[in-house]
Amino acid sequence: MPLCLITGGSACGKSTFAEGLLEACSVPRYYIAAMRPVSDWDRKRVARHRAAREGKNFITVEKYTDIGEIRLPKRGCALLECVCNLCANEMYSPNADKDAAAEKIIRDILALDAQCETLFVITNEIGSDEPAGFSDYINAVGRINAALAERADCVYEVVCGIPLRIK
Amino acid sequence: MVLIIGGEGAGKRSYARSLGFSDSDMADAVIDGRSVVYNAQDMVLAEPSRVNELIEKLSEKAVVICNEVGSGLIPQEAKKREARVAVGRLCCVLAQRADKVVRVVCGLPQRIK
Repeated sequence: MPLCLITGGSACGKSTFAEGLLEACSVPRYYIAAMRPVSDWDRKRVARHRAAREGKNFITVEKYTDIGEIRLPKRGCALLECVCNLCANEMYSPNADKDAAAEKIIRDILALDAQCETLFVITNEIGSDEPAGFSDYINAVGRINAALAERADCVYEVVCGIPLRIK
Repeated sequence: MVLIIGGEGAGKRSYARSLGFSDSDMADAVIDGRSVVYNAQDMVLAEPSRVNELIEKLSEKAVVICNEVGSGLIPQEAKKREARVAVGRLCCVLAQRADKVVRVVCGLPQRIK
């Protein structure tokens, strides 16, 4: 039930930190992967993350949209990676309701959290660079982050591998 | 080694000056005899594949200054995408090795290690 949000820029060490938090939990430990690998770049990232999780006794659940539909077989701790992928999948899939995506994702994450001892959610800081379009997407991720942070028991920003607790 | 990070124009070099370094001690994205290197991200962006070599050289400096990048959308262009991840990793390794890590926001230094 406690919710912990972990944010930071690209390659700042978020996953390593979050996996450490999950490892400290008792089993079962679920790793919920929301990244739909489509390019070689994606597959490389997935392989890298998978290798890092090796031997950590995580049960991997791949779910790219509608994570509110997940039914965990047994109560445990979970790590969801990550809000940005989930939001892109929800907003840019066929028949997507773009405007409703942010609210839906927040509801889905809270539904998942209700089944967890603790849910760790990884997100990204994506709104602090030169604008490159996709403002509705950037805005949706920002709104999800803010809504989750408001409900979260703890929020960390990871900077150069250093976790800074901001809530 | 002191690692100073922050956004563009955040006041990172001013902070380095407050540590007693002068502008003549500061090298702009180049490794030479000077004790401070700034714009470390530019060296990674120029040659992302040589990031490990760069990390070793920068580890010997008194002060390394690097812009925080990676808080925007993933770039479409493959080289930029790789470079961005490489800058992130460089900062993680340098932060691990550093005696002190300072993040400068709006000119205000915040010691995070």
